[in-house]
Amino acid sequence: MSTPDSSDGDSDRGSRSDSDTVGPDRAAVRDRLDRVTDPELDRSIVALDYVDAIEIDGDRVTVRFTLPTAWCSPAFAWMMAIDARDEVETLPSVADARIILDEHMHEQEITRGVNEGRSFAEAFPDADGDVAAVRAELDEKARVARQYDAIETLLDAGLDAETIVELTVADLERSAANPSAASAETASDPTDDDEREQLSIYVQNRAVAVSVPAAPIDRYLEKARETGVVSAPDDVLFRTPEGQPIDADSFDLVHRRGRLAQVNMSSQGGICEGLQAARERRFEGAGDD
Amino acid sequence: MYQQNGEDVFVIDAHVHLWDAREDNIVHEGGEEFIQCFYDYHTTFTPDERQWDMSEYRHYGADRMVEDMFGNAAADMGIFQPTYLTDFYDEGFNTTHQNAELATEYPERFVLNGTFDPRDGDEGIEYLEELHETYDISGVKLYTAEWRGDSKGWRLDDEEAFRFLEKCQELGIENVHPHKGPTIRPLNRDAFDVKDVDDAASSFPELNFVVEHVGLPRLDDFCWIAAQEPNVYGGLAVAAPFAQNRPGKFSEILSELLWWLGEDRVLFGSDYAIWNPDWLVEEVMEAELTPEHRAEYGVEWDLETKRKVMGENAADLYDIDIEEKRRTFQDDEISQQFDLGDHYASEEPAAADD
Repeated sequence: MSTPDSSDGDSDRGSRSDSDTVGPDRAAVRDRLDRVTDPELDRSIVALDYVDAIEIDGDRVTVRFTLPTAWCSPAFAWMMAIDARDEVETLPSVADARIILDEHMHEQEITRGVNEGRSFAEAFPDADGDVAAVRAELDEKARVARQYDAIETLLDAGLDAETIVELTVADLERSAANPSAASAETASDPTDDDEREQLSIYVQNRAVAVSVPAAPIDRYLEKARETGVVSAPDDVLFRTPEGQPIDADSFDLVHRRGRLAQVNMSSQGGICEGLQAARERRFEGAGDD
Repeated sequence: MYQQNGEDVFVIDAHVHLWDAREDNIVHEGGEEFIQCFYDYHTTFTPDERQWDMSEYRHYGADRMVEDMFGNAAADMGIFQPTYLTDFYDEGFNTTHQNAELATEYPERFVLNGTFDPRDGDEGIEYLEELHETYDISGVKLYTAEWRGDSKGWRLDDEEAFRFLEKCQELGIENVHPHKGPTIRPLNRDAFDVKDVDDAASSFPELNFVVEHVGLPRLDDFCWIAAQEPNVYGGLAVAAPFAQNRPGKFSEILSELLWWLGEDRVLFGSDYAIWNPDWLVEEVMEAELTPEHRAEYGVEWDLETKRKVMGENAADLYDIDIEEKRRTFQDDEISQQFDLGDHYASEEPAAADD
């Protein structure tokens, strides 16, 4: 639905105009930003059209972004700004990334804080602690929502509840030729490969292998690892929202909670999209307001 | 009364306000940002031709509200949910006293709710008693993210909040409406987090907790809590207008609510004047669940369910006798003003099958 390329005015797709400088390619910067998610919606800030401009000056990159409303949680805004800075600065050709948040009730605290390397608690002295707990909670929700798609994929492949709740990381085996697409540093467009890639799931004491699309499982695993529910090879893959292994009897209920988490995110996404559009109309109509 | 295929549906709009966001009432930039954000919500989910100007949106006044609520019989009654925001607005944004202007003029048509803020301590307890004594309130709207000096919010499961809930129980104020909506608190701790409702609801089983905005954007936390606490209800304000421009999403949200809470614990609310029942009631009444959602969730948005969500559930909570209201409204002042007598004249009994 969203068009990632509409976020800045330059015609930059496939452009190599920056390549004669020491700085990064604009597409590489945007690819990095594409990995930054709105933590509440678990969707890319590029796809959500929050990124207003990417300015490249030698090895310095400036990213400007705007959120759907001035009231967007500053903690969420902070996370996105920090993540954007960190992602862009992973590019070897970038010496310094500067992030500017516009049109937010705390734009100054956030822009200054992030670019000066302060902590959230330093930027907001009256905060109760740090943003880590908020991030952890949103990551949990993203994990639960992604789990729904992963489990749907397995149900579609014919696995039953008893089998699914016992699967471990070791039961997964990548069957495509390109096993590391997800971790390639500057893959130009990994989407097509990702869509086609398959995983083999070994069940019945590894006697039988079932082939399934890898993307939903990979997306789930990424969050499951981030949130620490899955690390060792013999860890069970899927968990309740509280992080516990799933009892086969409560499989349906847990799966429904995954569906609910998705509905919650997509509903909020609908509100954010609407507010964003309304706000743009207001700014356009208001002149210098 | 709303009429659909020859059937009457008594509509209680369980979430309305009479607010004042005029510039001379604003004392903090938060007040201006607050009304601007409301206005974005308004324009986002209101059909283009029904949108208001910002100036009328800031202050529409009592007469306009009466006409919008009842003029075309979209709603039969309204429940006032105050939002004080006294750090942002000189006289408050939408206080019980402001709402009382209409509620005392049309006592049969409006339910007037009060509020409390546990940060006010003993003075707050006295204020709650005073509200109860003056207006005989049977409900309170709570805004846990309201700013008060250095404080940017409070929790319903605080010890001090429990003292106020005890006072509610003692006074017979049975309906507690915590606002749980989008995060606006500029801090990391989330003052609209719905989890504090869990402990409060299990600690006060005789009170009803109507979570406004069904916890959005925490629908998942809300439904999980409501599934376990039988005295937790969901107010549809903010979810309802999805019916207008995102019908598929509305179908999905409503299906989740009906699946997790059931049809007895969901209440319609327009959030007037963010949205106007004038058009919103029709949008919700005419909404349909998609065949996919009906199959997936096994729930229906049929006449019986609509009657409950649009009016009967609120009537149960506020001891409103719909049949008696119907007789009263045949020739009350509002029916005369808007020529609505026919809407209440039918002899056919409203649904009383539960």
